[in-house]
Amino acid sequence: MTGKASLTRRVFLIGGGVLGGVALTGLGVGVGYLALVDVNGQGAKVLDDRSVNLTAWINIAPDNTITIYVPFLEMGQGTHTGLAQLVGEELGLDLAAGNVRVVHPSEDLAAFANWTMMLDERPEQASGPLAWVGKRVIGALGAVATGGSTAMVGNWTLMREAGAVAREMLKAAAAAELGIHPDHLMLGYAGFGTADGREVKFGEIAEKAARLSPPSSVVLKSPAEFELIGKPIARVDVPAKVRGSAVFGLDVRPEGLLFAALRLSPKLGGKVASVGEGDVRGRRGVVDIVRMEDAVAVIADNSWRARQAVEALDVAWSDPAITLDSAAIVADLEASLKAKAFTREEKEGDFRRAVEKSMATVTALYRTPFLAHATMEPMNATIRWGTDDRVEVWAPTQSTMLSRSAVKSVGPAREVAVHVTFAGGGFGRRAETDFITHAARVALAVKGRPVQTFWTREEDMRHDTYRPASVAAMAAALDGKGQIEGLSATIAAPSLSSSYMPRNVGPSPSPASDRVTIEGLQTPYLVKSRVVAAVDSASDVPLGFWRSVGHSHNGFYMEAFIDECAATAGIDPMEFRRMHLAPDSRHARVLERLAKVSNWTGSGGNGHGRGIALHESFRSVVGAVVDVTVSGNRQVRIEKVVIAADCGRIVNPQLVEAQMQGGFLFGLTAAVFGKIDIVGSEVVQGNFPDYEMLRLASAPAIEVSLIDSDDLPGGVGEPGTPPAAPALVNAIFAATGERVRSLPVSEAGFRIG
Amino acid sequence: MISLTINGVRHDLDVEGEMPLLWALRDELGLTGTKFGCGVGACGACTVLVDGEAMRACSTPLEAIAGATVTTIEGLAPGGVLSAVQEAWIAEQVPQCGYCQPGFIVAASRLLSGNPSPSDADIDAAIDNICRCGTYDRIRRAIHRAAAALGGAPAANGANGEAGR
Repeated sequence: MTGKASLTRRVFLIGGGVLGGVALTGLGVGVGYLALVDVNGQGAKVLDDRSVNLTAWINIAPDNTITIYVPFLEMGQGTHTGLAQLVGEELGLDLAAGNVRVVHPSEDLAAFANWTMMLDERPEQASGPLAWVGKRVIGALGAVATGGSTAMVGNWTLMREAGAVAREMLKAAAAAELGIHPDHLMLGYAGFGTADGREVKFGEIAEKAARLSPPSSVVLKSPAEFELIGKPIARVDVPAKVRGSAVFGLDVRPEGLLFAALRLSPKLGGKVASVGEGDVRGRRGVVDIVRMEDAVAVIADNSWRARQAVEALDVAWSDPAITLDSAAIVADLEASLKAKAFTREEKEGDFRRAVEKSMATVTALYRTPFLAHATMEPMNATIRWGTDDRVEVWAPTQSTMLSRSAVKSVGPAREVAVHVTFAGGGFGRRAETDFITHAARVALAVKGRPVQTFWTREEDMRHDTYRPASVAAMAAALDGKGQIEGLSATIAAPSLSSSYMPRNVGPSPSPASDRVTIEGLQTPYLVKSRVVAAVDSASDVPLGFWRSVGHSHNGFYMEAFIDECAATAGIDPMEFRRMHLAPDSRHARVLERLAKVSNWTGSGGNGHGRGIALHESFRSVVGAVVDVTVSGNRQVRIEKVVIAADCGRIVNPQLVEAQMQGGFLFGLTAAVFGKIDIVGSEVVQGNFPDYEMLRLASAPAIEVSLIDSDDLPGGVGEPGTPPAAPALVNAIFAATGERVRSLPVSEAGFRIG
Repeated sequence: MISLTINGVRHDLDVEGEMPLLWALRDELGLTGTKFGCGVGACGACTVLVDGEAMRACSTPLEAIAGATVTTIEGLAPGGVLSAVQEAWIAEQVPQCGYCQPGFIVAASRLLSGNPSPSDADIDAAIDNICRCGTYDRIRRAIHRAAAALGGAPAANGANGEAGR
């Protein structure tokens, strides 16, 4: 249906990859220049401290400390461990040994650019002139970015090759050092040994290795030889996180640090009209007051003093030009959906005829609300704007490139160094630049002093970039055997990309070109005719990438509705899905495993219900069964969850299990409680008491069964999220006979706990 | 001047009495292991021990605890030797982003000091911290593991029992 899209179209459209549009429009560069862009990163370099870079990803110090550069934000997904395993596998490393470090690089090398996300292509499959150009343009921009569950997908081959290249160079240098043939060397942990007991460590020969040419090709280990890949290797970041010594954005403490409390307009889009300073400048610890267009900040020597002071300012705010109201927005979405003012329509077969011929039709209207990210660590950044206009940034950011350009948009920065810290959650929120921009404006006011600009929970929740609200009209035509003859999924949603782009990047695609609105509506089920259509609209509510993006609502619409079809057909929901899947498909395999590990015998009833959902996203297929008990007073207890997943080859099963559990709970929490209301341009919810979370007492145990696969790895950070909401409402239906078609379920009068 | 004994060291703090303990720890003393999450005592990321009791440092004014003994995440591993709870957290590979984990570890330490073999229901009742990454399963397992390591009898588990895994 989508066919082979052109590069231009793809880079404009894909979720998280909208930057690519700028790459093509902003760089009028020739093939000659592009040929010089080093996207392979296999060069070697001796640094000032005598350590040696062998490829862009590996640094070896004379004392045999091995540093692996992972150009992805560690926000909990385990990417620092998973990608280090790839390098370590080929290089012969023990990640638990004291000599291996994993860090985010501070340079935006072309080789680190995330063109897998931008081009929406696996590296192993991206070939031809368009991919060649795309990789180099994105590389030349230094588009380092974390998102779209792409880290493992994009680096599965690249970082193993880097490890192998470094190993071969080290091996040649070691052979020369020991005066023997390279074939007689045995690879040990970060060194080589000989049959007669001689040893040489990488650190002793790295400088010599750096003078050699990288091998033109390397042989990668076969799966049978893997020692790290496929094993539940311990996370490299856990010891520091358990000691309390891991440095998150708010933990950065450069010499002379000041703290700035930010106060943003109570209304979305509001501006500062006037600031009455009162006695604030004379307060203890206060260094300065910074007035910005949409915010004020007080810089002080302590976060609390800064916060008290900024609250004491008498700030008048101008009203925004447009008044935002989430209920009115959702009503407009619903009206536009009913008017069928589609900006995009994809059709296969003749859906109308299927309806005419059908024995039964099923129709339903579904709704999902705006949602906040609510990362545990609120937005923050620490910036020192040097008196020489050299700028240093310490921040938990999903894009160093965007952070750099955000700083440059604020003032005449000559150089911007970005040091990426650990992030206390990300979920897409840290792909934004607002927290960098405000921090840069604050830092510019006190040049030479580092300032940590931090948001309160309330600022964070009321000035988030929200998961779009949407409304979907679903329809199906069933034949006499309960088979779906035709399936129609139409959605109205404000366009995420047309909100994200102008805020963070620049030129904006039209709302109608936002592919994320419909991602996940293309059903895997075998149906003769189908329709996918969307009404994309521009949005004045700031919208952002929220874990699993369009799949977060479309997975709910599709899998809750399929359950309605099964009920109408009078067929067990597991069996109903099975009869609509090709027997040898990934989906069928996952469903079969799910039936087995959940001991599926039916969906229950009379207060106890089991609900299924099965959804593919980010190159992985995840199925889940949720068990609930619903007592007479609409009290729901989520008893247990079983997940089956096909994520391609599993690099680290304990990390993938954690991501499946965490992704699912993220979706489950949203399904149960999540809702952002906007009234008169003010976001109603402000903190955890009114934006509630599942906790130990209410969160179910989640069992995960991963399918062994030799396929290329799929994403794991996001695919666990989409099945949560539909599996939950399907379970509630099984228990009570009541369909919840509008999230969250707490709004339908159910109490969860 | 407000005196506190923090992780075994006496500190005389020349700060406002209404300043919450959290900001004295983080900004005055550089003990950044205790985290800011909500500022209203709802999430537990700032949980510390004050005279042995788990408290939310973000909503505990210094003047209310003058003279007290405070233990933060940094104080759980004196001399660098991890506590049984921290060891269990590593064995179960609990943290994802890790931001909330110091609060959970301190809360779990307090639970185990008063109840050496907590049941799942005891854990549910004692710890209402928030983890946004969804590590609850592994937190529960780690608490049971720590209890066993500390010599508490293996707990009888309810519906969410994970200790046997």
